[in-house]
Amino acid sequence: MERREQPEQRGVAFVAHCLMNQNSKVGDGAHCAGIYSPVVDVLRDQGWRIEQMPCPELAFTGLNRFWAVREQLDTAAYRRHCRRLAAAVADMIEVRASRGEDIVLIGVEGSPSMGVHITSSDPARGGLPEWAEGTAELTSGEGIFVEELREELGRRGIVPGLGGETHALPDHDELTQQTRLVSLLDRPREKPSRTSPVGQAE
Amino acid sequence: MKPDERSFRIALVADGYVNPPPDGLDALAVLASAGWGAMQLPADDYPADIAARVLAEVAEQAEEFSRHGYDFVLIGDRDGLAEALASAGLAVPDQIVPAGAGELLEFLNARPAPAVSTWSWLDC
Repeated sequence: MERREQPEQRGVAFVAHCLMNQNSKVGDGAHCAGIYSPVVDVLRDQGWRIEQMPCPELAFTGLNRFWAVREQLDTAAYRRHCRRLAAAVADMIEVRASRGEDIVLIGVEGSPSMGVHITSSDPARGGLPEWAEGTAELTSGEGIFVEELREELGRRGIVPGLGGETHALPDHDELTQQTRLVSLLDRPREKPSRTSPVGQAE
Repeated sequence: MKPDERSFRIALVADGYVNPPPDGLDALAVLASAGWGAMQLPADDYPADIAARVLAEVAEQAEEFSRHGYDFVLIGDRDGLAEALASAGLAVPDQIVPAGAGELLEFLNARPAPAVSTWSWLDC
């Protein structure tokens, strides 16, 4: 188990911090003790190098943060924080991309910061908490950090593949999630380069 | 809702143990089986200025965990880590440079219980 044959490297997956460290999750949000193996194992088995991104919420709002929707985090200060982190991650991605390595970003669907295709939104949320569990908040869109990172990469002419872990979605199914991830990793992509035009994200 | 399953235990992990060479030690597999989280340290092939910024972010996040009593260890090493941690007021945690999975697992299992065992400060 611990010494496994590594297939030839196919690319680099920049993954959300919490996929390797569930201790960073908002309270009551940790699905397992530490490493979320369903995603890490697929990346390993498919021959992808793993790079962990920072958790944008952890250092800014802390371990005792409340569950939040996008509108609550979308402040000028949080945007600046995310841009700073995104610039650091983009620097790493640019190093890899300049070597012709394929790049994918793996976020967390439903997250106000790390959502890739689905984020959480409720413009009315604020003040004394009174929202019952199950209040509809999931909506199409990106989280704030993913948005800032993709814009930073776009300025550098880098278009990564995009996928998300789906544990927070009501229709989450581990096998489906893994199948989608394999499909993303297998999808033909133009090799990233600093001069390629910015295209439609996947 | 399922209870929060975090372990309050985090390993700072050198890149060579996250992305091991052929026949190298896959620390993530050991950490997963032992119930630890991982914070990856930048690979040695990144330029020094990029690595320094990444290490500064790692240290800032480690500071938040440390303030709340989470346990830390270091697997492997990384130039600049000690300085980055010091800038956040943290010492280098107990370290291991494991030769094999058994040695790493034994090291992790021998750690004392973390100072915190619930995510909420209300229950501390």
